[in-house]
Amino acid sequence: MDLQGQSMTQMQPMKPAPAIFKRNPPIAGEAEAIERAKNGDAEAFSRLYALHKRRVYTLCLRMLGNVSEAEDMTQEAFLHLFRKIGSFRGESAFSTWLHRLTVNLVLMHLRKKGLNLVSLEETINPSDEDTPKRDFGSRDMHLAGSVDRVALERAVALLPPGYRMVFILHDVEGFEHNEIAEMLECSTGNSKSQLHKARLRLREILRRSEGPAPEQQPTQPAFKEAAL
Amino acid sequence: MTDFEFPNFDTMTPAEFESCLPELFANSNGSVSTDPRLQTFLRNNPDCAALVRDLETIAEHAKSLFEPDYEPSDTVWDNIQSKLQQEHPGDNNHSVPAKP
Repeated sequence: MDLQGQSMTQMQPMKPAPAIFKRNPPIAGEAEAIERAKNGDAEAFSRLYALHKRRVYTLCLRMLGNVSEAEDMTQEAFLHLFRKIGSFRGESAFSTWLHRLTVNLVLMHLRKKGLNLVSLEETINPSDEDTPKRDFGSRDMHLAGSVDRVALERAVALLPPGYRMVFILHDVEGFEHNEIAEMLECSTGNSKSQLHKARLRLREILRRSEGPAPEQQPTQPAFKEAAL
Repeated sequence: MTDFEFPNFDTMTPAEFESCLPELFANSNGSVSTDPRLQTFLRNNPDCAALVRDLETIAEHAKSLFEPDYEPSDTVWDNIQSKLQQEHPGDNNHSVPAKP
């Protein structure tokens, strides 16, 4: 979608967001591949990898912000899938199930790294200085430039990890607050609050990036070592 | 359902509005700007209205990020194959998948 040159506040409202299941429509041949993979069919597993590797990897990359770690976690996710696919009962879309499996592995990985060892409720709350500033009453500061997929991707990469996690899970992946709260071991209120702060921070970043004298134009890809 | 207590929408201040925005967004499926209860307030507080529009725009465009942009290197699949070979040596029920 090319949104170049359009103001965020001038853009036409988009259609209502489709539900997660609508965003995960059945893929041709997927159901058959799942059943065959459950029976240990290696070729079917290859097919599932081919169908889902990009989404799983992109999810890992956005959550971790690092190519090497994202590849490691993609590998772990599919190994886990190979071992656990027998437990998939079809109660949700396969990709939803796979994404949840992936998110849980990434979160476990982050906890092992110590990011969330003390308390996830606490660690997903950045320090006060990271909290987006209130800016009511500054009408000239309205976001007036353009936002597009690339700009948003870059802005998301600049979010503090806690904000980024909730934003990706809710606004990108389509998980509900109660699901996020369960995954992140925090309250639903905390999930809502973090999401709101994430969006406020993104607004700041996007607005800054379209200003007349940006502090620093990003010259690197959004992710470390990312080869687009 | 939520236990959150909303302020009086007709008399609330911008600060009160901000404090209940996370709940408003969570309860309105992302379309706060069309909430009939808020129309008077938003009309009288254009900065708040602009904030809501921007946040709605960000949320809407986030959905475009759902489609994957990135592809893992071939090494990932090679490593998966290698690990499965180690886990299932000679296991006919779990043959190692070939490159997709």
